[in-house]
Amino acid sequence: MSTRTDTSSNAVVAGSFEGGLRRYLRGLGGLLVFLLVWWVGAMTTQPSYLVPGPLQSVHAFIELFATSTAIVVPVLGSSLVLPTGLAHLAQTLFHYVPGLLLGALCGISLGLAMGWNGALDDWLRPLVRVLRPIPPLAWVVFAIVWFGIHHTGAAFIVFVGAFWINFYGAYGGVEGVSTELTDAASTLGVERDLSMLKLVALPSAAPQVLTGFRTSIGRCWMIVVGAELFGAPDVGYEIINASNNLAMATSVAYMFLISLAFLCMDVGFRLLERRVLAWR
Amino acid sequence: MALSSDSSTGRDSREKITIQNVSRSYESTQALDDVSFSVSEGEFCCVVGPSGCGKTTLLRAIAGLDDPDGGSILVGGDPVTGPGLDRGMVFQEYALFPWRTVRGNIGFGLDRPACDCPDCEAQVRELIDLVGLDGFEDAYPKELSGGMKQRVGIARALAPDPEILLMDEPFGSVDARTRDRLHGELLDIWTQTGQTVVFVTHDIDEAVTLADRVVVMDADPGTVQSTFSIELERQRERTSRDFVDHVARSKQPRARWPEAFVVPSALSEHSLLGERAG
Repeated sequence: MSTRTDTSSNAVVAGSFEGGLRRYLRGLGGLLVFLLVWWVGAMTTQPSYLVPGPLQSVHAFIELFATSTAIVVPVLGSSLVLPTGLAHLAQTLFHYVPGLLLGALCGISLGLAMGWNGALDDWLRPLVRVLRPIPPLAWVVFAIVWFGIHHTGAAFIVFVGAFWINFYGAYGGVEGVSTELTDAASTLGVERDLSMLKLVALPSAAPQVLTGFRTSIGRCWMIVVGAELFGAPDVGYEIINASNNLAMATSVAYMFLISLAFLCMDVGFRLLERRVLAWR
Repeated sequence: MALSSDSSTGRDSREKITIQNVSRSYESTQALDDVSFSVSEGEFCCVVGPSGCGKTTLLRAIAGLDDPDGGSILVGGDPVTGPGLDRGMVFQEYALFPWRTVRGNIGFGLDRPACDCPDCEAQVRELIDLVGLDGFEDAYPKELSGGMKQRVGIARALAPDPEILLMDEPFGSVDARTRDRLHGELLDIWTQTGQTVVFVTHDIDEAVTLADRVVVMDADPGTVQSTFSIELERQRERTSRDFVDHVARSKQPRARWPEAFVVPSALSEHSLLGERAG
């Protein structure tokens, strides 16, 4: 009897392992098929610079780290020598990170405030309706006029993008706080004010706030590259710069670099999220 | 019987909760219509009635979570103006904070700066012990069964040491066996702490199992149909003749009660009810 249950539970474990393995193999298969199509496409397209091949692109990617470039650290003003790829990535991060964090902070704050305070919600809701549909990149003109084509301007555009996504995450999260929980808290001595926001609304909204932030990590990469295509230095600018020189493989290498940077941030944040939301 | 009439005369002077002509209506329904009764200190009072009879509304009004349209509710002689730590509440769907562990939930009411308990942690440990959740201190609500969740709910309500415990169909979502066990545990806790309990349920058996006194309500409009005391010794056997009699009695309109069932201690409520039951 016991051996039978043992084998059946082993079978279950083996089954889930096989299922996982099958999934990985299929994923790998998909990648290989894509590489094959890409390779054949690159081989048969003329002129050859239109579609750089996979090998060529990998070569260009390695090349990014073979040379080095000096960059200036903003605020500190000191200069730093890094492999070219990392140097450009770092330059991008100099406006990506402050824009994202500041935008998230402001967006979450306003979202919490409007979700929590009905009067403020009444005041600002129409304004939000008007401003929300404007794509962040449309602010490029003001970014250029106000801040110039540099870190601050690009950071401003990233800020706008991060702001709205985080705003809606926090706003929806606070609106969705169950009245049962706020009732329970008030019978336990919490009055409907800042302490209720801190003790009940914020932890209850945390999953949505964090999802909003994680979404904004990805969205801001799209926005930052868009902003850089207009001339702010770095990864995005390098993509267009390389293509102007018909070095398309280098453009592809930078595209991979962005994808890699995003993947690292996304995985890192997911791990953090899982820790913070262990109670779910 | 002499004892019970003593306690009923003493009852008036120790009235803990007084509900006077309370009315509350929502859009199309009259949830409470001129409801009056009182609960004395240390009494276990069950409010029983069909769904929609306003019993939850009444409980929320006592808790200070809901304002009645008319009438007044006094707790210890003072009108209720909002929620307070003197009234703990246990919710039907537990209402535990999912992001807090068992310990964190139970300690919630003690986390205020205003809290003056000398050793909050020891108090939380004591409560965990009281509701039999040793070993689950660090579990999150999602990891607990319904019965365990409600034990946390009860311990959390007890933590600030309220004088009154308000319970809104607390065992409505647990299975019958767990419910029986929780009834015993609740009565043990009540014996130890001596709180005044108002317990809302739609289950007459449950009310007769637990209560010193049962308030039977009618729906639409929500009114008090009758009130009667239960003089049976605890632990009460659901199959005993007296128990069945009490249950049968509460299911009938007051007017048709056989005289033999009107126990003397219920006479004190008789005058209060005469006008609406007669």
